[in-house]
Amino acid sequence: MSIARILIVLAAAVALGSPSAARATTNDQETTQPAAKPDKEKKAGKEKKPDKEKTADKEKTAGKEKTPKKEKKAKKKSDVPAPDEGPSATDTDAAPPVPADQVEPEGPGTRVTWKQHPSFRIGSAFRMDIQAKFQEDIRDTYVGEPELARTDLHRNRIGVQGRLFKHIEYELERELTEKELDAGRNPKSPWKDVNVDLTYIKNAQVKIGKFKIPFSLDQLTGVTHNDFVYRSLGANYLAPSRDIGVMVHGSFLKHGLQYWSGVFRHDGDNARSSRIAGGDETVAARVTGTPFRVMTQGLGEIELGTAFAISKLSDDSFRPNGLRGRTIMTQHVFYEPVYVKGERRRWEADMDWTVGPASARAEYMWVVDDRQRQGIGDDDLPDARSRAWYVSGTWLLTGEKKERPVKAAGDFLQGGWGALEVGARYERLWFDSVGGTDLPSRNPRAETILPTADRALTLGVNWTVNRFVKVQINGIREHVEDIERNPVPGAAAFWSRIVRLQLVL
Amino acid sequence: MLVGGLLAQAQGDPADALFDDGTLHDIRLTISPRDWESLKEHFQDNTRYPADLRWRDVTARGIAIRSRGNGSRSGSKPGLKFDVNYYSADQRFLGLKNLILRNNTQDASNMRELVSMKFFKRMQIKAPRESFARLFVNNVYAGLYTIVEDIDKDFLQKNFNENDGYLYEYDFDESTRIPYAFEYLGSDPAKYVPLPFKAQTHETSPRADVIERFIWTVNEAPAASWRQRMDEFLDLKAFMRHLGVENFLAEQDGITGDYGPNNFFLYRFENKNLFTFLPWDKSNTFWASPDYWIFRNIKDGPENFRNRLVLRALTYDDLRDEYLNTLLECAESVLQDGWLEQEVSTEYERIRSAALTDTIKPFSNEQFEAAIEELKTFAKNRSDAVRRMVAEERPQ
Repeated sequence: MSIARILIVLAAAVALGSPSAARATTNDQETTQPAAKPDKEKKAGKEKKPDKEKTADKEKTAGKEKTPKKEKKAKKKSDVPAPDEGPSATDTDAAPPVPADQVEPEGPGTRVTWKQHPSFRIGSAFRMDIQAKFQEDIRDTYVGEPELARTDLHRNRIGVQGRLFKHIEYELERELTEKELDAGRNPKSPWKDVNVDLTYIKNAQVKIGKFKIPFSLDQLTGVTHNDFVYRSLGANYLAPSRDIGVMVHGSFLKHGLQYWSGVFRHDGDNARSSRIAGGDETVAARVTGTPFRVMTQGLGEIELGTAFAISKLSDDSFRPNGLRGRTIMTQHVFYEPVYVKGERRRWEADMDWTVGPASARAEYMWVVDDRQRQGIGDDDLPDARSRAWYVSGTWLLTGEKKERPVKAAGDFLQGGWGALEVGARYERLWFDSVGGTDLPSRNPRAETILPTADRALTLGVNWTVNRFVKVQINGIREHVEDIERNPVPGAAAFWSRIVRLQLVL
Repeated sequence: MLVGGLLAQAQGDPADALFDDGTLHDIRLTISPRDWESLKEHFQDNTRYPADLRWRDVTARGIAIRSRGNGSRSGSKPGLKFDVNYYSADQRFLGLKNLILRNNTQDASNMRELVSMKFFKRMQIKAPRESFARLFVNNVYAGLYTIVEDIDKDFLQKNFNENDGYLYEYDFDESTRIPYAFEYLGSDPAKYVPLPFKAQTHETSPRADVIERFIWTVNEAPAASWRQRMDEFLDLKAFMRHLGVENFLAEQDGITGDYGPNNFFLYRFENKNLFTFLPWDKSNTFWASPDYWIFRNIKDGPENFRNRLVLRALTYDDLRDEYLNTLLECAESVLQDGWLEQEVSTEYERIRSAALTDTIKPFSNEQFEAAIEELKTFAKNRSDAVRRMVAEERPQ
């Protein structure tokens, strides 16, 4: 991927948001939507909203994003958001479909529309939105890292999502960039989200298929909606990510309390690699709430969340099956997995605060792995422990209200400059064992695991050009604390720099 | 970390006692039984496993061991490499970072390697120290092995009083089995490193460009200036001496081996472009018979297997003389006090019991005894055969 190609893609994407493209979109809407929707219909739409958008991890903000009725009424029909524009779509990988009868009246026949996404509909019985996500990176890091490609087609995903009748929602997404997928013993599937969500019971919806295990605010935040180019270390290496399973989820107290609880075949893609088998059967649950909603009037919204996951761990593989630690961009392994067996227990707590153009997030994760009979002499070893935390903050310099994704008040080349946001994150990921009397060692059967950690500071600027295009610039300063596993001479801290162009259709 | 009373009181190199070839040593490994089985099952992998290593009262805890070798790899009696400092950079075992236990699965006599390296040193050529050991894994006898000093920075320091030069191991490409005979592959340094020359030091900046210039000079430099240009890269007389010793030992898998050049290290000295060859893996010496031809794969054999460096060097009379004189010197040396015959007999007595009780070895006891007899015959007759071949090469 050359820089020239990236620029071409950028130009094309900006053009999509240009006045002529907007005119085309408007025309499209005019031909496919009636001029106005009766209030009655709107009300009906609002009542249907919980079906999906308010129930998944991504809908965690649905409650807080809920705008006063007055404001909603003021909204023009033609401004009805596309699926992943809506506030309820915040924090999702795959944007949920807005209920068809909320977005626009359902016609009796078959129609094709394109606002944010190309969409195929058959009356109110079927809807399919086609989506695509492209992320192209230009990056640089410390000298002596020959493995790092300076330009990278990081992510290229296509997918569909929609609904069948009123209560069956579905999504299907596939990664096209093969290098995203590890080869080897446990190759990662190119299929990302492949699931069906049955929304018959508002407070107990059932999701079946492949999707993210409900754990970690940062991991559950959609990849195109992140405040930073890379997720936090904890989200990438301690949180489970996707797996196949069944989950019940719902919300209470007008979305002041939401829950997700499921069982999964394994413990997620993040725990596996070509050499690491990962955990087995996993039970996970997450709950979020806005307990200070009444008290914090005018101070934005604070949402608190917590989750746990318990997985079985086998030592069937001849290779160590523990978690590993890697640096952010170069993915240099600074902590090798250790031999584990028994149970893996994860717990996390998180906080998400948005107020006007600003946001703050914090999260703490804790994981312990049993090491039953994993000593050199077949003896039990103290638990292996992994922990991570981060704090982050963002500020929209152009004054928009903080949402994920950010919506620019004025698109670039459409009378505005897009939305400009700055952000910073500080984090730590570290590993050790719980107890042990022996001398600390890096060997994977050590009684006392030598503590090691990676600290990182990320400084970023996000430019939301328009609803399709975002440019992110991040500088990342990392310091691997174990001098023998630090990838740079002198065990010093090092900087990585990245520019990401993101195009979402 | 390293413990042990011996080390504290040791004078000089603490590893000398381990490489004392007058003793049959006992090496004891403690390893998870599952890991040991896994290492044998996956013997083609280089996966490392943690283990504790003990010799006498010296223990190194939490070292890494892995299967090693090319043709000698075995799932029943694995060749082993001990990375003493893999999990802890400061850890040493008798001052060593690495140690090799050769399984001798390609040598029924078990002693070709050890006797050959002793002979290299006898001929004043730097070579790794070696001794015999019985290996016990979790207190169970796991076979007779040869302890081999690794060619690494410690070896360089000990032998050359420096260790910051560029060390490369010739890496025979097992996947293609296409020999590399020192032909010029073009100006791209990547054609030389990491294959066939695998950097063992300065891995991230191996300076393959110097190797490229060396190989270019070997092949392309004009005859008029070849010797002068080669002086920058190689002491040709020392190289011919190395070759002479190897071929006296009837090395079938060496610099002029049957599979193309193989089994050597190249070391480029600090702040110079001068390389030297170091011998490695001599399990295929004493090959076939005492009449093993001193020009095998030089004047015969497939063209593309013939070492271009050797071929060009032998066109110079003084270098050819150096080669032949070294062969004669070897012939004389092994006869002094019956050195080679004596060596074979002594080592045989030392390892006989351990070899016969080694039930994991891929040879029968009869094959072991027969192999020893072959070595004795070789030792007795090789000098005469070499003298005859040299004489034929130098008609009066």
